Amino acid sequence: MPKEIYDVIVIGTGAGGGMAIHTLCAAGAKVCALNGSRRLDPKKDFRNHKQPYDMKYRGFGSPELRKTSIGYMDNEYSQGIWEHDIVFTTAPGTQWTWRRCFAVGGKTNFWGRSSARFSEIDFRAASRDGYDVDWPVSYEEIAPYYSRVERMIGVASTVQNRPSNPDGEYLPPMNFRCIDWILHSGAQKVGIPYLPDRIAQLTQAHAGHPGCHFCGNCTEGCDTGSFFSTPGFFLPEAEKSGNLELRTNALAKNILVDQNGRAAGVAYIDRNTKQEYEVYGKAVVVAASCVESARILLNSKSRHWPNGIANSSGQAGRNLCDHLYGTTARGYLPQLLGQPSFPDNVSDSTVAWMPRWQNLDNPRQEKFIRGYSVYPDGGCAGYPSYYDSIPGFGREFKREIKRRYPTPVDFYIQAPTQRSDANFVDIDPEVKDIYGIPAARIHFEWDRNTLLMWEHGKQACEDLLHASGAEYLGAAKEPDMPGTSLHETGTLRMGNDPKKFVTNRFGQTHDVANLYICDASVFPNCTDKTTTISILAFSLRTSEYLMENLRQA
Amino acid sequence: MLAKVAVMGQFPGFSRWVCAAEHVHESSQPRPSSYHPQFFTAAEYATIDELSELIIPADESPGAREAGVAEFIDFMTASDSEIQYPFRTGLTTLDASAIQKYGSSFVNLREAQQIELLSSMTNDDFFKLIREYTVMGYYTSRIGLEELNYPGLRIYSQSPACPHKGDPEHKHLPPPRF
Repeated sequence: MPKEIYDVIVIGTGAGGGMAIHTLCAAGAKVCALNGSRRLDPKKDFRNHKQPYDMKYRGFGSPELRKTSIGYMDNEYSQGIWEHDIVFTTAPGTQWTWRRCFAVGGKTNFWGRSSARFSEIDFRAASRDGYDVDWPVSYEEIAPYYSRVERMIGVASTVQNRPSNPDGEYLPPMNFRCIDWILHSGAQKVGIPYLPDRIAQLTQAHAGHPGCHFCGNCTEGCDTGSFFSTPGFFLPEAEKSGNLELRTNALAKNILVDQNGRAAGVAYIDRNTKQEYEVYGKAVVVAASCVESARILLNSKSRHWPNGIANSSGQAGRNLCDHLYGTTARGYLPQLLGQPSFPDNVSDSTVAWMPRWQNLDNPRQEKFIRGYSVYPDGGCAGYPSYYDSIPGFGREFKREIKRRYPTPVDFYIQAPTQRSDANFVDIDPEVKDIYGIPAARIHFEWDRNTLLMWEHGKQACEDLLHASGAEYLGAAKEPDMPGTSLHETGTLRMGNDPKKFVTNRFGQTHDVANLYICDASVFPNCTDKTTTISILAFSLRTSEYLMENLRQA
Repeated sequence: MLAKVAVMGQFPGFSRWVCAAEHVHESSQPRPSSYHPQFFTAAEYATIDELSELIIPADESPGAREAGVAEFIDFMTASDSEIQYPFRTGLTTLDASAIQKYGSSFVNLREAQQIELLSSMTNDDFFKLIREYTVMGYYTSRIGLEELNYPGLRIYSQSPACPHKGDPEHKHLPPPRF
C-alpha cells in the first residue's frame, strides 16, 4: 500500500493547533492532527453543574487524588483529565508545578479566558528599555489577526484607551459587582486602573454559540460551550470539511526527516497499544505547547540535525519565560458585612482586571523594567475558606461566617519573567516516560526583576485595599510555584537572525522550511498579558502563511 | 425525585438529609435506621456528632447535626489514613480531659461544661482538625449552602450587576441583615 502523504501534520489541538487545523482545513488542505490523549465527553467529563453534595468527596477529591493533585484545577470536578503519565524532571534548584491537559482541545477546555492583545509597548520593549530583543513584528501587522480572532471566539470588554492595552472588537462587558465598585473607588484614589477584563466569555450569543448563563464554574469546563474552546468552536467545522483526520491517543515522539533533512512527517506512539507509528506530510506544524514543542524538536535527532531538528542556532529549549503568579494581598470589605449574598463568582472572577500601569511613559520609571497586571477576585464564592481567620466556635462563629460571606477580596499578580540563560528546557539524559520517550527537564529560577514586581505589587494592592476602606489581611508569604500560570513562552523564539532564533517572523523554522511552530514557544518574551489570544492570532497568521507556501510549491 | 434521593443517599451526610426531606412529606413515617459509622466506634461517632453541633449549632437555621456532618467526617476519615490517628487520639484525649475535669465523658457533660472544655482547647491541633472538617462538611451540604444562600451554579440571564446604583463606595447600604 502506498503511504499516504497529507498536506499538513499538526501536532496538538489546543489554541495553536486548533487554529492551524481550522485555518488549513477551511483552505482545503488535507490535515492529519495528532493529539496526545483522548476526546472529552462534556456530558461525562464536565461536572461543572454538580453541587458539592452531589460529589462523593464533596469536590475535595479522594485522599489519593489530593495527594497526587498537580494543582487547584486537578480536583474531583475535572478528575481524569489532567496528564499524570508523561513525566518531566527538574534540574537541581528548580521547582516546577504543571497542570497539562493532553485531551483534545488541551487547556482551552478549562482556560482562564482573559484575552488582552499584546501591544507595541510589548513588541518594542527592548528598544524602550535596552533589555533583550524586540519582536520581529509590529503591532500594526498583528492587529488585523487579533480582530479576526476576537470575531471568531467572542471577547467581552470595553474600549479603555490604555497605552499598553490596544482595544479590540468586543461583546458587552461583564458587569461590575459590589466588590468591583468598592475596589474601583479605592483604585481611583491610588491611581491604579481598575477596569472590565477582556474576557472570552459570551455575554451574549455569538457566532452560533449560546450566551453564557453565568453559573460561575467555568474552570471545570463549560457544558454549553459559552466560552471559546477548540472542541467547541474549531474542530467540528474542520471535521465537517472532510479535510481533517484526527488521531487521538497519538503521542508525538519526533519529527521525521527526508534525505535532505526536511520534515517528512511525525513518529508517534499510540498510547493504547504502545506501538510506534509514522504519518507523513508535506509540512509539519508543531503546537504541543511551549515546553512539549521544544521537547519534540530536541528529541528529533538525525544525521542532519544532531542537536535536534531546526536547532542549528542551539536556541531550541532556551529562553524559557513564565508568569509569576501569587496573592499580593487579601482582605475583606466591611461595607458588605451582613449584606445578602450576591452572585459574585459568575465567571470564576475574571470580571475585572488592573492592567499594567507601570513604566508606561518612562520605561525606567520603576526599580524594575516592563510591567505586570493584577486580577482582583472575591465576593460570595462557593466555600467559605476565610473561616480560618475567624476564631472560636458556636453561634458567633457561624454568624461571622455568614456575615463575612460577601466581603472577602484578594489580588492575584501576573508578572512576566525576563529572558535569562538560567531558564531553559533540555532533555533529561536518564529519564524517559512510560512510552520510552526521553523526558523534558526544566531549569528555572525567578529573576530579581520579577520579584521586584512582586514586592511592588504587594505594596500597591495593600494601598488599594486601605484606600477602599478594606481590612487588610496580608499577602501570600511567597509567590506560587513556577509553572503555576501555564503561560510558558520562549523556547522556540521567533526572530530575523537564523543564528539567534529558531523561527522566522512567521513561525517557520529558519532551518527547515516546511516545519512551523504555532504556540507560545515562538514568543520572544512573556508580557504582562495572558497568552491564549496571542497564540490564536499568531497561529492564524502562520497557518495562512503556510497555506500560501503550499499553494506556491 | 426518588432517583435523585437514591443517588444522593450514597454520598456522605445524606442519609440524614434525605430523611429530613422525606419527613416533610410523610411525617407519619418512622425515623429510618441510623447511620452505621465506617471508621469510628459508636461512642466516637456520638462525640464527633456532639462536637460538630457545638461548632456549628442550630439557631435560626439547622446546624451541623441536621446537615449530617458527623457522617461526612466518618466517611472522610475512613478513606484517609492520615487523619485517622489524629482523630482517634484527639477524641480519646478529649474524653480523658473531660473525665479528669468533670468526672464524665464528653458526651455526658452538660452543654456549659462542654463549651468550657472546648473553649480551653481552641489552640490545639485536634480542635483545628475537627473545626476544619466540620466547616468542610457543613458548608458543602445543601443545608450549609442554603445557610449562606450560595448564589453560584444558578442560571442568570445576564452577568449579575451591583444593585446599588449611585453608591459606588457602598456607604449607604441598608443595615446588615446578619
